Amino acid sequence: MIIFSERVNGMYRDVRKAINEKDERIVQDLVREQVAGGADVMDINLGPTKGDPVENFVWLAQTVHAATDRPLSLDSAKPHVLVAAMPRVRAALPDTKLIINSSTAAPEAMGQLIPVAAEQGAGIIGLTMDQEGVPGNVEKRVECGATFLMTAMESGITPEDIYLDPIILPVNVAQKQPANVMEAIRQLAIVSDPPPHFILGLSNVSQQCLMRNLLNRTYLVMSIAAGLDAAIMDAADKELVEAAISAEVLLDKQLYSDDYLKAWRMQKGLH
Amino acid sequence: MSVPEVKEKWSGGVTAVTLGATKAEGGTRGSTVTIGGQTGIPFLNFDGETPHPPAIALDVLDKEPAGWPPPLADVYGDVWSDPAAWAARVKQLGADLVNLRLVSTHPDEGDRSADEAVATVKAVLEAVDLPLIIWGCDVPAKDQVVMPKVAEAAQGENCLLGAVIEDEYRTLTAAAQAYGHKLIALSPCDINKSKQVNILISDMGYPLQDIVVYPSTASLGYGMEYIYSILERGRLAALSGDRLMAQPVFLDVGYESWRAKEARSGDEMADTWGPAAERGPAWEAVTATDLLQGGADLLAMRHPKAMEAVRMAVGQLLGE
Repeated sequence: MIIFSERVNGMYRDVRKAINEKDERIVQDLVREQVAGGADVMDINLGPTKGDPVENFVWLAQTVHAATDRPLSLDSAKPHVLVAAMPRVRAALPDTKLIINSSTAAPEAMGQLIPVAAEQGAGIIGLTMDQEGVPGNVEKRVECGATFLMTAMESGITPEDIYLDPIILPVNVAQKQPANVMEAIRQLAIVSDPPPHFILGLSNVSQQCLMRNLLNRTYLVMSIAAGLDAAIMDAADKELVEAAISAEVLLDKQLYSDDYLKAWRMQKGLH
Repeated sequence: MSVPEVKEKWSGGVTAVTLGATKAEGGTRGSTVTIGGQTGIPFLNFDGETPHPPAIALDVLDKEPAGWPPPLADVYGDVWSDPAAWAARVKQLGADLVNLRLVSTHPDEGDRSADEAVATVKAVLEAVDLPLIIWGCDVPAKDQVVMPKVAEAAQGENCLLGAVIEDEYRTLTAAAQAYGHKLIALSPCDINKSKQVNILISDMGYPLQDIVVYPSTASLGYGMEYIYSILERGRLAALSGDRLMAQPVFLDVGYESWRAKEARSGDEMADTWGPAAERGPAWEAVTATDLLQGGADLLAMRHPKAMEAVRMAVGQLLGE
């Protein structure tokens, strides 16, 4: 399970304030908490912050990197911001693995972002949607996912650097989608060998719901069973992380031992 | 027709563990032996590297063995009442290490004291300059008295001490840690326990990269396939990046092979089973070469002819 930390995101008030005021301490305390919880990748998202987004990305990437050497995923819905920010962050942090989050399968977005990922040796997340928006069914997700995968691979990006995100919608507004997302993962997993990674912005499933943690935890386990191997999630949510580890043990992805939770932490060098 | 690419891309590998210490390293051994280090499936040279071929230790007991059959008596009978002379013999026969078993410390096998065990270890260390594997008598209460003293007496020699188990691991782990020895972690035919024991030892602060695991052993005809599948699963976990399963593997091939009636029985069976002098070594060699392909790195053996046969097979499998 590759855990992308969702927490360094300007949508959170504390992070937004930190970015606006260039307060490193707030960000770095969060980073340390997320890494201690098991985050493998630090996703960074500016949210609605003031100032030049490219400069903000460079500041945020350097601030996060000062607290951890984990890979960074640059998260923005605006391709032109990512295109401009990637070389700047790469120049500032030449030895850090970067991941672009994200491109859609729309030709225009792919045309801008896939070459950047290929050139920078970066990973890239591809949303299974195109210019027409988020698909409501399995078929269109699979079509978009396969299109993105093939386009990225043709540009020389290997499956281990490609993350397909079948886009989970809140269960209280789109109750058929959790099952559709899982089916899309199952179908996309056989498109290439080795398969790409599958990732979700997990907490979206429970937006505006009352039982958020329980829904997140339950859906994470269900989608791991369908083939999910990465998630953008709160690594400091201990029950969530431990449910994911347990799911992987039950699926024989990790060898069982009585102290399998401790084993997982030891593998990551956590104490 | 093109041959499909079957090479796997592994994210992990087997830990390399070095046994013994030369003068420059604070010991008195003439050379050291390194085991493990593979980065692919055993003997698939396109799949990964095998920097260190499997090493072979020959057994030395600290008292005259009871019931070893004639093919072994012919090799060791003149020296087996003296462990130092016996150790010199196994060096002469070409062993990589001495596998010293302090069987006489067992309450029913002479109940020798820790001081006597220390004297034996010192005598063997003086008689040969090979790295040593040292075992107690498998009675935890006694081993807890004997092994710390043995570990202290052999300080600096970087020996391999056997064996910790899930229920009894603290004393020996502490002794190995205090006196700079490597450690064998035993979990009989149970891969989940194997991982658990490594967690427990590591939790005491003992380095994972100093552990050699011992999944127990079964010989040809006596459940070898159970151990083989444990070896395979363990090796696949190691190659897949599970650091708690990345330790090299020890197998007690000699002891298990020579318990088999096919190896032990004498020439009264020669008409149907062939001459005893060849049958026993063959049983041991076949057990060893089969298990090595599941993924093993250090073998304790008994008959020099079996050792030679295994080395020849390993050389062929490695394409040497």
